[in-house]
This record gives sequence, C-alpha cells and structure tokens, in this order.
Amino acid sequence: MKRTSLVIRISQSVAIATLAFLWLPLFVVVAFSFEPEAAAVHLTGFTFAWYERVWEQGGMLHALYLSVELGLGSAILGTVIGALLAVGLHRYRGRGFAVLALIVYLPIVMPDVIYGISQMVFFNYLHQLIGWPRAGLVTMGIAHVSFQIPYVALVVYARLVGLDRNLVHAAADLYASPWKSVYAFWLPVLKPALIAGFLLAFTLSLDDFVISFFTSGPGSVTLPIYIWGTIARHGVTPETNAIASLMIGAVLLVALGQTFIRARRNGHLLTDTA
Amino acid sequence: MNPLARKTAGLAASIGPGVTWITLFLFLPGLLMGVLAFMSNSPYGQPTLPFTTAAFSQVAGYSFLGWSPGNIEVIGRSLLQALYATFATIALAYPLAFLIARAPERRRAGLLMLVIIPSWTNQVVRAYAWMQILAPGTPLSHLAVTLGLLPQHMGLYPSSFAVSMGLIYNYLPYMVLPLYASVEKLDWRLVDAARDLYANGWRVFWHGVFPQTVPGLLAGIILVAIPSFGAYIVPKLLGGDRSVMLGNLIAQQFSSMPNWPFSAALTLVMLLFTFLGLILFRRMARRLNAGEANLL
Amino acid sequence: MKTLKYLIPLALAAVLPVTASAQETLNLFNWTDYMNPKVIKQFEKKYHVKVVQTYYSSNAELLAKLMAGGDSQYDVVVPSSYLIQRLVETHLIRKLNKAELPNFKNLAPQFQNTSYDPHDTYAIPYQWGTTGLAYDTRKFKNPPQTWGILFDKKVNPSYPFAMMGGSGQDIIGAACAYQGHGMGCDKLADWKSAAKLLIETKQRHNFVGFVDGTPALHQLEKGIIAAGLVYNGDLAQAMENSPEATKYIKYIIPKGGAEIWVDNMAIPSHAPHPKLAHEFINFILDAKIGAELSNWNVYASPNAAAKPYLDKVLNSRLVQPTAAEWKRLQFVPVLKGEKLTQFKAIWSAVREH
Repeated sequence: MKRTSLVIRISQSVAIATLAFLWLPLFVVVAFSFEPEAAAVHLTGFTFAWYERVWEQGGMLHALYLSVELGLGSAILGTVIGALLAVGLHRYRGRGFAVLALIVYLPIVMPDVIYGISQMVFFNYLHQLIGWPRAGLVTMGIAHVSFQIPYVALVVYARLVGLDRNLVHAAADLYASPWKSVYAFWLPVLKPALIAGFLLAFTLSLDDFVISFFTSGPGSVTLPIYIWGTIARHGVTPETNAIASLMIGAVLLVALGQTFIRARRNGHLLTDTA
Repeated sequence: MNPLARKTAGLAASIGPGVTWITLFLFLPGLLMGVLAFMSNSPYGQPTLPFTTAAFSQVAGYSFLGWSPGNIEVIGRSLLQALYATFATIALAYPLAFLIARAPERRRAGLLMLVIIPSWTNQVVRAYAWMQILAPGTPLSHLAVTLGLLPQHMGLYPSSFAVSMGLIYNYLPYMVLPLYASVEKLDWRLVDAARDLYANGWRVFWHGVFPQTVPGLLAGIILVAIPSFGAYIVPKLLGGDRSVMLGNLIAQQFSSMPNWPFSAALTLVMLLFTFLGLILFRRMARRLNAGEANLL
Repeated sequence: MKTLKYLIPLALAAVLPVTASAQETLNLFNWTDYMNPKVIKQFEKKYHVKVVQTYYSSNAELLAKLMAGGDSQYDVVVPSSYLIQRLVETHLIRKLNKAELPNFKNLAPQFQNTSYDPHDTYAIPYQWGTTGLAYDTRKFKNPPQTWGILFDKKVNPSYPFAMMGGSGQDIIGAACAYQGHGMGCDKLADWKSAAKLLIETKQRHNFVGFVDGTPALHQLEKGIIAAGLVYNGDLAQAMENSPEATKYIKYIIPKGGAEIWVDNMAIPSHAPHPKLAHEFINFILDAKIGAELSNWNVYASPNAAAKPYLDKVLNSRLVQPTAAEWKRLQFVPVLKGEKLTQFKAIWSAVREH
C-alpha cells in the first residue's frame, strides 16, 4: 500500500507541474507587458506605457471589431446550418448515412494549412470566373461557417440522440405545418444545444488563425491576423506583449462569465462543451 | 403532399444547406488541389497544361539537380514531431486527468477550466509566449547552456526543441479532456480487484486502470497527432528554417517559391498520411471495441 | 452559378453587418515600416479617402499574394526592380497612364527610363537602397569585411546568424559574391556552387533560419542573432529612433559585392481604384511629400525635386554609398523563362535540405 501512495504522490506532483506549465507562458507574457525596459530579460519595474502605445497606434480596436463581426456573423449562419444538418442526419438515418457522416468529419480532420490554402485557391479561381467573391470578410465568413457546421451539428446531434424517439414522432404528427413544429417543438427542445453550439462556433471563429490568414483580404485584418502581423514584423516586443495580454484578459473574462452563468443556472459548475 | 415527397422535401431542407456548403466550399477546393497536383509548373509557379506527374517526383526528391532527401526528411520530421507531441501529452495528461477526476466534485469544473482556458487564447499568442521564454539570454536558455545541453551563445528558440515544446503546449488540453472523461467513468471495483492481485503500483495501473481509459486515450491520440502532424504556426514561429515541417513546406511552396502544383502534391501527401492514420486508428478502436473512439 | 452568386452574399449580408463606408478606399500593399503615417494622413485629407495599408516582408510574399487574387484587391504595390518584369509577364500589373502623373518630371534622370522598365510603362521609383551585411560589434571584433561573417565558420564558429529568405535572389547573390562570382551572378554553375555553400552553411549549428530584412534587424537589436542581411534605410531609421539598441550594429557592403535595388510603385492589373492609385503615385512624386517620405524612412529618394527638403541624415554614408562602395554594388539579375525555372529549382533545393 505504501508503494501505491508514492506513485500517487508522484503523479500528483506531475499533475500540478503540468498545470503550472499550461499557465506559465501566459503569466510571462502578461508580466513583461508591464516591464518598462524594452529589451528586458528580467523584470525590473512596472509601467502602463506599452498599453498606451498600443492604444495610440489604433488598428487594434478596429481589428477586434472585425473579429467580433466575423465571429457573430459566421456563428449565426453556422449554427442554423449545423443544427438543420443534425436534425436531418438524426431523422433520416439511412443508407447514405456514412457518406453524410464523412461530410461532418472531413472539416474536423482536415489540417488547417490545407483547409486554408485550398479555399484560397478555390476562391481565387471562382473570382476570376464569376467575379465573386473578393478575398475579405466574405471569404473568411464562408470558410468559418464551413468549419463551424460540423461542430454545431455534433453538439445538436448529441442532444437529439438523448431525446425520446416517440416524443419526436409524436411532435411530427401533432403539428400540421412543419413551421409550426419548428418553433413550437424543436426550438424549445434544442435551445440548450443551440446555445452551446453557437458559443462553440463563436469561439472556434475567434481562435482560428491559419484558415483566416489564408482566406483574408486587405480590408479584413481581424485580431489574430493583426497580432500575427506585429509578431512577424517585430518579433517579441513590449507592445505585442500588451496586445497579447489584452487578449488573454478577454479570454479570462469570457471564461469567468461563462462559469458564473453556468453556476447560477445549474447550481454546479460542470461543463459539457469541449 | 405524399409521404415520399414530404420526406424528400424535409431531407433537402434539413441537410441540404449543410451538405451544399461543405461540398461547395470544402470538397470542391480539395478536388481542385487534387487537379492542380497533376498539372505542369510554369516558370512563374502557376499551374499550366499539360497534365503530368512531375510534382510527385519532386515530392520524392527528384529535380534536374538530381535526387535529394530534403522532402522525405521534412515528412519524417513532421511524423516524428507528431509522435513526440503525442507521447509527451499522454505522459503529462494521465496524472492531470487523475488529479481532476479524483478531486472533490465541486472543484472538478474549476480544475477543468484551468486546463481549457489557456487553449482559448489564440494559438499565435501561445506560440509567441514561448518565443519569449526560450530566446537566447533568457533564464531557461542560460540554464541549458550551463548544463551543456546547448552550445555557447545559442538560445532554445528557434530550434526543433522549441517546436516540440510549442506542440506539446498547444495540444495538451486535447489529450487531457478525453482522458478525463474516461477516468471519471472509471469502475473502481476493477481497480480494487487489481490491487488485490498485484502488489506493484504500476501493475495495478496497467491491469486495472489503463484498459478502462483506452477509449479516451485513443480519442486523445487522434486529437493530438493529426493537428501536430499538420502544424503550421508553431513550427513557423518557433522553428527557424532548420526545423521546417510539412505544413510550412506546403505554405512556402505555395507562396514564396511559388510552385503551386508541387504545393498541391504535398497537400495530397499530407492528406494521405492523415487519412491513413485515421483508418489505422479506427481499426484499432474497433478491435479494442472502444465505443467512444469509434468516431464514425 | 448565377443565382448562387447573388444568394450567398445575400445570406451573408443578412447576418454580417458589413460596415459599408461611403468613403472611397485606397488599398496600399507595402513593405513593413516603409511609409510615413503623416503622408497617408495628408493624402486622406486632400482626396477625402481612406487608406488601408497591408504589409509584406519580401518580394516573394508580394508575388504570392498577387498571384492568389491580390491583383484585384490592392490599388498600389511596391515591388523591387528585379520583380517588375515577372509581374508584367504574368499580367499582374497594368500599364500606367502617364497623363495622370504630372509630377513624374520630378524624378531624377537616372530613375527615368530604367533598365528594368524601359519607357516607364509599369513602375515608378519609390525609394532606393542597398542590402548589406550587419553584425553585432560586441560579438565580432574586427572581422574581415566580407560575407565570410556568414559563410566562414572560422570567422563565426558559435554566434547565431540568419540568412535572407524570400525569393532567394538576395542570399544566392551574396553567396555568389563571397565565392567571387559577383552579386549579379546568373550562370547555372555559379548558382550550383552558391547553393552548395548555402546548404553547408545551413547545416552549421549556429544558423537559426531564413529571416527577411526588417525582422532580421529586430532580431539583431535584441541579440537573437549576431549577423544577418538587412536593408540600409531600416538601420538608418532605427539608429534615429532607438540609438541605444543599435549602438553595436555595424552595416557593411562586403568586399565581394552587395545588392542595390530600387523599389517601385505599380498598379495591379485589376486594381479596384486605378484612378485613385494614379493620384496616390502622383502625390508621392510631389517634391515636399517625397522629402517627407524619405526623411521618415531614411532611405534615399529618387525624387530630384525633393532634394532641398531632405534631412542631413540622408547624406550619411549608410544612405549614400561611397565611391568605393558604388563599385561593389550590383542589381540582382532579372530572371525569366528557363533561367527562372532553374533558379527556382536551385533555391528550392537550398530550402528543402
């Protein structure tokens, strides 16, 4: 028994060190964003100067605005299409199911670089052919929706599988028009999954860099692309630290908010999204 | 409306938009890359006729300069980096999954959030953070030089070590989450039974715990190995050009060279490896009858 | 296809509150740190437009973006001299309407009717400069003033260094120059031996990567690398803005020769706002604006009329090479057809090894 507890103790230390490993880089970035010395290796003081510099440079706020616009727009479209797909997949499980499943899984397993480059090439040829679409928020939006659809579909599908089949059939018989059944039955039943799917889609959009990078145009510098630009041009700088810290701060705020809402609604904190 | 027509209409209305969207904006672009890979390369790097397999012999390393192992090395390096990342994340994720699963229930969600939140910051920011930690002259680089792990004056970044570090950091949560899901559902009676049988802690783990976590482990491996293999940003920012991975080579041949047919051929190679890996895993998962990892 | 063309933007427009600005926009695709923000402000004010600037770090990046649809997105681009013919032959840039460029007369005679663009059909000089070798004087005490600082492991056995990436013409030229074939080398045999040298150099433990000019300077300032290829004006500008960080950086035109270049304004073939693009180019050609640009950039100006307004720093040795240095400066060759294919195979081999 003593030996087991030693194993457990080692395992616990490794686990705690791993948690520290996950957070250390973020702490370093935030700490150095307040460091007055530009090329410092050790912390020597405290200043807000870099944040002021970032604020003065502008650009970042506009980038944030574009990110949110893209995130919201694509997530709405992605949620609607993804949810419909889930309903269809659940209802009409037939011989073609495997093919359909492939459509859901392909975007998830496709490496980002291939995803982005092939769409960029495709949009380019399409533009030459029919004069649409011009690279920018529209092409980024199309790309984002395409990777949001499967994730939303999976979330909604999971909810549908959990439903009683008889209930679903009864609902189908009960309402005369399909429209009525949509808002009287499907919307209320699927509401939690739709909200979770939407949030997931929004997060995916904000987190994506590679696909956005390849499908973006001159006027669509979203926040990740803006940050990338400053890193690619100037490497590690206090200003970049400040921008990155703001992004880390925003993520923390969203996470805390979400946890708080969930805690109030469920009475406990357990999360069900990936 | 007769039932069949109604069913068809319902099907079209529900799966229609999604299937159309993904076919149009993902399948078609993918097919296009497949076509480009078989086209000739113009001096300016654009695909032209006639159709040829020249791009694939270039992938194999042949050019008018003779044969070079460069591309094969890049593919090998990408596979190796994916392997490192997978093993390292497994080693780190097991203890963490257990720590969370064994914690009192009210603290579990908080601990999970501690794992998830770092992955919500954009991957560019995460790689950037490591540039700062591993640069020459930083405490970690100093330490490595003092210990003789690193030549004088050099930094841990840029290097293939930095790439490994970045990949492990990036994808660790994807291993922890599915493993946690498995560990949380662990049947402890089986563990106790193993404990009666074996005195050694490792053997208890191996016979009592490990088999039960295989579904989560397989899911984690897929979630870590595939994106590590196709990584672009981490090697781009942390690697320098000595540790180029396949994703970088594709992007480089697409942009700065440029040679679109070659880039497209490399793309097909990457997809081939990805799908082969997936199929292999599905087989393994089926044999182990691991329901959860049975994705399709 | 037609219906699709209208349906999808409609669907997207429904959800994307696209910020349609009434103002016309000029999309400028430019090198990093290459434009005085005050010049942009003046242009915006004068023409009541908005300027959106996007950046690249190498000619290769510019070419890639233009090939991938950028020719219908950007209004003005700033390619280097050796790239112009390639852009013309791939139909990526359009002919200029000289009638819309009255300030063209301000250009110094040697920048009119250039070898890379006879009759000034496609390109208008923006700035010119050199690409030399810069190193950290704390780490190299009196090194030989040659490319050996990069290529000779006896000169630099242990300090990290970078080489220039991009199209490869700069670094292959540098390797050629080191081997005595000159910066403008264009023979296959010379390229092959340059490639061999580069591949050997890549294998050395202290080579850290292919880094473009502007980021290389930043890495030098931070001590991440001890030597690399940088642009003269970038360093001159950094010396003005942060003298502390650049105190130990020395810039040389190595013995074997180095690259001189002219960056040019050009209009992509399907630029959305060609008229505005001409106005912008003409604006830059203005005497005072041209001076403001160079004073901020600290690159030499091709604009003769701007001379009276230029700062003293633009007469420094860093910006204006000495007579001896002039003899060592060469353009990199303009490549096309079979030569270009060969060069790319060589460069590809260097990168893949």
